[in-house]
Amino acid sequence: MGMASVNTASEGMQLCIFDLRRGQQEGQELDKILFFFPADLPFATQLSVIGLSEGLITFTRIFSPDAACEVIEAERHSHVFFEAESDIWMVMVVEKSKESKAACQVDALRKVLKEVHSLFVLFHGTMRSMLEKETSGGLIRSHLYPFITDYLSDFLIGKKLQLPSFHDCLMERGTVQMLTVGREAAIEVQSLVKVLECSAGTTSCYSLVLFQDLLVSTTLSPDDTISLFTYAVLRLTPHALSSGATSWSYLQRTNAGSQVPALSTITNSGSVSDNIYRSRDTSLDQDNNCQVKRPLHHNRWFRGNDGFLASDIWGADNGSQTSVTPIVYLQLTEERMYLCAYQYKRLTIILLVPVSSILNGEQGLSLVKQQVLENVCVLSVPASLKMLRVEEKLSKGWGGENAYHVSGYRYLLVDDERVSRASPPAKVMTLAKDSLLAMSKLREEVNLEKRAKCSTSEVNSDKELEICVRAKNGAWVIARTSRGKELYMVLEKASETLLYASDAVEKFSNRYCSGVFSLD
Amino acid sequence: MSSSDSSSSSASDDPNPKLKPQPLESQFQSSLTLEDSDGVARTDDASVAEQQQEQQDEGSGNGSVDGVVNVEDNGHRDSSDREEGIGSGEARDGDGGSGGGGGVVWRRANSEVELEVEAPASPSSSGYAGGRGSSGASSASRADDASEEDEIEVVGNDDGGAVGAPDSQAEWTPGKRHVDEDDASISWRKRKKHFFILSNSGKPIYSRYGDEHKLAGFSATLQAIISFVENGGDRVKYVKAGMHQVVFLVKGPIYLVCISCTEEPFESLVAQLELVYGQMILILTKSLNRCFEKNPKFDMTPLLGGTDVVFSALIHSFSWNPAAFLHAYACLPLPYATRQAAGAILQDVADSGVLFALLMCKHRVGTSLKVISLVGAQKASLHPDDMLLLGNFIMSSESFRQVTSESFSPICLPRYNPMAFLHAYVHYFDADTYLILLTTRSDAFYHLKDCRIRIETVLLKSNVLSEVQRSTLDGGMRVEDLSVDLQQHTGSTSRVEDKPHTETPERIRESSLVGLGGPAGLWHFLYRSVYLDQYVSSEFSSPINTHRQQKRLYRAYQKLYVSMHSKGIGPHKTQFRRDENYVLLCWVTPDFELYAAFDPLADKALAIKTCNKVCQWVKDVENEIFLLGASPFSW
Repeated sequence: MGMASVNTASEGMQLCIFDLRRGQQEGQELDKILFFFPADLPFATQLSVIGLSEGLITFTRIFSPDAACEVIEAERHSHVFFEAESDIWMVMVVEKSKESKAACQVDALRKVLKEVHSLFVLFHGTMRSMLEKETSGGLIRSHLYPFITDYLSDFLIGKKLQLPSFHDCLMERGTVQMLTVGREAAIEVQSLVKVLECSAGTTSCYSLVLFQDLLVSTTLSPDDTISLFTYAVLRLTPHALSSGATSWSYLQRTNAGSQVPALSTITNSGSVSDNIYRSRDTSLDQDNNCQVKRPLHHNRWFRGNDGFLASDIWGADNGSQTSVTPIVYLQLTEERMYLCAYQYKRLTIILLVPVSSILNGEQGLSLVKQQVLENVCVLSVPASLKMLRVEEKLSKGWGGENAYHVSGYRYLLVDDERVSRASPPAKVMTLAKDSLLAMSKLREEVNLEKRAKCSTSEVNSDKELEICVRAKNGAWVIARTSRGKELYMVLEKASETLLYASDAVEKFSNRYCSGVFSLD
Repeated sequence: MSSSDSSSSSASDDPNPKLKPQPLESQFQSSLTLEDSDGVARTDDASVAEQQQEQQDEGSGNGSVDGVVNVEDNGHRDSSDREEGIGSGEARDGDGGSGGGGGVVWRRANSEVELEVEAPASPSSSGYAGGRGSSGASSASRADDASEEDEIEVVGNDDGGAVGAPDSQAEWTPGKRHVDEDDASISWRKRKKHFFILSNSGKPIYSRYGDEHKLAGFSATLQAIISFVENGGDRVKYVKAGMHQVVFLVKGPIYLVCISCTEEPFESLVAQLELVYGQMILILTKSLNRCFEKNPKFDMTPLLGGTDVVFSALIHSFSWNPAAFLHAYACLPLPYATRQAAGAILQDVADSGVLFALLMCKHRVGTSLKVISLVGAQKASLHPDDMLLLGNFIMSSESFRQVTSESFSPICLPRYNPMAFLHAYVHYFDADTYLILLTTRSDAFYHLKDCRIRIETVLLKSNVLSEVQRSTLDGGMRVEDLSVDLQQHTGSTSRVEDKPHTETPERIRESSLVGLGGPAGLWHFLYRSVYLDQYVSSEFSSPINTHRQQKRLYRAYQKLYVSMHSKGIGPHKTQFRRDENYVLLCWVTPDFELYAAFDPLADKALAIKTCNKVCQWVKDVENEIFLLGASPFSW
């Protein structure tokens, strides 16, 4: 009974979402479950996981009313909590791997939860609003299930889910990676953005420009940028289109081929659960089910003849042959926007057009698309030509996959918790396991320090921290925080002395961080 | 948790809190069934209760009841508890040959310690020498310096957490505080660091704050969490929520829980729980597990009756005593010859059937005890944690502290042998210096008494005691003396002092305004000798001169210690850490560990050089600051 069956769970991982405002009466406990993975676990087991979570949320509020339970660390499992929306909790239970019992990246796992939630909100709006729309919960369950299973399938390697571990300690989920552009290219990009906005014919549209998997420009708010960037990297960029799937984990890139069969096993079990949910939610009518869209469904985006990306996920327009353009929700303004993506070679441009500004749906939208490509407005060059130029310029200046490799260093640079740059994954892979474990542990410590500072309501940007550790294997593992920037670094071939290691950081800081981490 | 007042007050009389439905528990559906823990080792010894009985019998055979320290009339909380309790707190006079006004005290120190807290005006207080009132003599008592006491206020406030708690203004006194609180009190919930001991049936055994009986419901909740996870084939280690951490430790039928928002790492808190458990074993031995095997609902609070003060003193010491996280003990600095003389007589005694002989003194700073000399019988070695727990037990129990009196008490050394009682003969030579003789024989009192007389004679003759007093006054190593000492001992020129002026004059001048500790902004250091299991700590000097700062520094060291000894990947070799408070440098080698704190603006290169100097300095004076030849391997 209890969580014994947890251990036999297929993937060694469970993920549940529950709403504390529901099912508080005896006999109605099932009602609080909005999502459970794996769905074929017996309800008793699901309820036991949620019961423990709920119990500890209540318990910890005795002492910490403002921040309830964040993690339960047990000998064999970590339970990671994230309160996605008020009273709606996401809990991930992860079995600890044998090799890294000590170092479970709780913060990284929480960022996974955060990421899938923000993606869900991007396409479906908040869970709470969906629950308010349809109080039986059938609607949200039917949306959450395919959405999260599709998302999780990105972590599949073979038949195993490969969640963030200490291997990933030199990357930061939930941040964007920027392309460094020269001055000339920057001006070119800037004028492209202007042309795009202008040709769309409405001033309140937004754009996001990516080159490969890197962000070049955005006119969106930071949070929306992160969500949309994440989606683009997962499903829209040339890389994503060609491999069918992509992920942050470098381990996975090499295994992209093996995705399909594994994916089908997940979807199969998905249909089982669909039935379970459907049978329970009698109030849910068939129509609703048919309308469930799966924005993260693999291999459903393709590049159309006009250069715009299209997908059949949202179905086809009734009147015409064209596929329906997806609508996304902006977090800050709660505006609904059409998502139009255009791709030229390595360049991906996402244009968000307010739904309210387009009167006649797809027809109006195709007009806008046409304008973007052909219209000549402020400058005498149409946007399509601009894109061509920009792509050329950026390609010329781009250093390739390893552009941001700095020889001798393995690093992660995080700016304001939103933008990050890191050594290429393939290079990080060359580090010894002990170095990665030490870095993973160090990041945990720094996160603790950061939170401690936040809780004492000091201004975070004042936090200056410098930690240099010489690990057992002789590698230097370094963390620096300064003025909202964080730098993590592993130096395996540095010499023995602390001064040498500090020098190396100093050099790096001067060269790549405009001296933020330099002492003087 | 919304445990109502009515339920918690009635729970105080309820021997079985499990029957009380608690709102939280109801969320742990179907998993609240209790289990007898099977993993408990069976004891070969007699049960605790049997031991107590023996103890009492021996006691009554040796002398008549005398009212020297009359405990029974002081009517403390649970008279029924005392009847069941070990030794029942009766004071029995010896044959009157012990000299002075002191009587032989045959008992456990459990009941009368409570007396000291609750009845400060007891007539027995007149028998306490050393110029201390019976209530003010806390194990954490400091020099009678008014300004220092002020600092304790601040710290007390800091530690207590609750704003406006009336007694947070007072000096730290041993014993239980805030007994009027329970889990429904806001002030209780805001305490920064809770410790709980409970049984696996959810019965409260000890709580640092609040009345255990009123916390029965809360205790049941803790038990529910532990057993819920256990039923799933796992074992809960900790839960985090905001700045709070709930740390669990399961020891057979005993559950220990710490709830803290002190930012101490999990590893530190769990080590502290281990020590709390060890303290309990020291008082009762592990054979108490057998009581739980016989009766899962066994109530052990009576056995621990009155030992609150021992636990709270131990918990208090976690913030002050580096021995608690370093797992090492400190020695009083003494001339080599003096320590040799003390060691020789102790060795003499050890050869005559004493298992361990320890000559200790209470250092004027905080609760840390310092060893003058210690000797063990062949092949017997004393773990530093055992010394910490033993020292805490003796220093926090007022009954032991009567100068010139003798106490004979059963104790267990958890690291030495958790299953068996030893017998401790304790005698204070003066207010701060005391002798502990440990034996396996329960009838060895008169032998130990003779040993003590022999030891005392030698110590007096060889001036050891006066040297001890001098050293206590002089204090230990001072960072200010670093360069001076280097000149004296190694004859090297004081390059450390020269450098600052040539390289970073502004910085040094700036910090010297605040109160420059040692060279290069060195404020403090801890040096742990790995092979000796000993550490030496520099005296606190400006600017680390308030207790709040000292506590913060200890916490920083503690964090650094955990970081360096990180499980699975440690120990690291070196670490440099700079934040707004300090520059901390740590250096771990197979021989020693050095932890040093500098001014946050200290120059990295100079700090490293200074650390090297400190290590050299310690090596130069190791004859005086360490007890050499006492390492377990040399016996």
